[in-house]
Amino acid sequence: MQFDLTVLLPHLGVLRDGAILTAQACALALAGSVVTGALVAMASTSASKPLRRAADIYVDIFRNVPFIVQMFFFYFGLPVLGLYIDAFTTGVVALSIAGGAFTSNVIRSGILAIDPGVIEAAQVFGLHKRTVFLKIVMPIALRTSIRPLGAVLVNLILTSSILSTITLNELTGSAKIVASDTFRPFEVYFVLLVVYAVLTWSVSLAIGALHRRLNRDIVEVVS
Amino acid sequence: MQYGSFTWYDLVLLGQGLSVSVLVFLATSAIGLVLGIAWATVRFYRIPVLMQLVTLVAETLKNSPVLVQLFLVFFGLPVLAQINVTPVQAAVITLSGNTAAFIYVIAVSAIESVGRDQIEAARVFGLSRWQTLRRVVSPQATAFAIGPLIGLAVNQLQVTSLVSVIGVVDLTKIGNILNLRTLEPFIVWTAVGVLYYLCAKLIARLGGKLEARLRVHSDWKGL
Repeated sequence: MQFDLTVLLPHLGVLRDGAILTAQACALALAGSVVTGALVAMASTSASKPLRRAADIYVDIFRNVPFIVQMFFFYFGLPVLGLYIDAFTTGVVALSIAGGAFTSNVIRSGILAIDPGVIEAAQVFGLHKRTVFLKIVMPIALRTSIRPLGAVLVNLILTSSILSTITLNELTGSAKIVASDTFRPFEVYFVLLVVYAVLTWSVSLAIGALHRRLNRDIVEVVS
Repeated sequence: MQYGSFTWYDLVLLGQGLSVSVLVFLATSAIGLVLGIAWATVRFYRIPVLMQLVTLVAETLKNSPVLVQLFLVFFGLPVLAQINVTPVQAAVITLSGNTAAFIYVIAVSAIESVGRDQIEAARVFGLSRWQTLRRVVSPQATAFAIGPLIGLAVNQLQVTSLVSVIGVVDLTKIGNILNLRTLEPFIVWTAVGVLYYLCAKLIARLGGKLEARLRVHSDWKGL
């Protein structure tokens, strides 16, 4: 069969809607991951041993079980508990929890890289523990870990394609529809591959620029 | 089939699914390793055109979802090339290529970790190109790469769960089947998750042993 991209033109609307849904899911999941990751990182850098242990177990489980299995666990499991939530919410929650495991490692190393003198100074000023964490530790840790967080975001975008398996018509899901409408799966999935690659590539470029901009006052040993 | 409670035969099913997952993982890792090293060798010798092509392919494979790659090979390729592709073939082709892209990146940085001066020294001693690669570059590059490779292996094991979407009856697919039959999502997906987790831990442990062995020459042996 001839390779012909023009067959896709009438279906661009469907793909655009899918892309918007992917963007929404990723944005929400990124926020969810950062919150979850910050909480887990807080636990894993805390002075309490049980908390550190709990954080380790969390990261260990969610990094070593395939995302699709985690997602099915929530998607099929929650209705059994009487919680009827839609595929989009389930997907975002699953992405946030799994992303949180990766984000926590990033934020954790950001926290550990903070000069202890900074925290000691804050404590000497009599600031409350919570204030120290929210106003001093987190801003520094997040700022220095923009680049690795970007890698997590890229991963999140790629992983969000798996949401199509729980009936969510995001970018991959809507491409499946277009492929079965046009009978041209090769063109559809080829374009999809390129779109994802360009998308993630531009996200990592943008993140790199943001990282340099936010950390411009820090002299980097390796740029 | 009538839906109902678990039977002992379900354990056999889980075992079968696990063996399919492990076989797909082993096969694609082996092919991916050979392919990735071949691509890295192309780059090492700076073969024009081929080198740029390899970089482009590897970057695209790394920056696009595995699910879309699977769809492209399983649904797209048969239509374009008028050939038959079975789910297992599509899975092996896609995951091998995907693994190769990541191994390529690791291999390139591993080769670059061996200083150019060492290669020059080897040339001065009269070693041939092949001897330099085989006796000087590859032992050091392997010791450098083994850590990232183990991380990659743990990751790729989880990626194999996606082949269930195109109909390979692996562990995740068995989980799906059991889930639909018994309507016990928590038990089924926990069992599947535990099996994946144990496999990931096994890979990490075996990899750790291998790494210790490869690095024994650079260990601190005392005075």
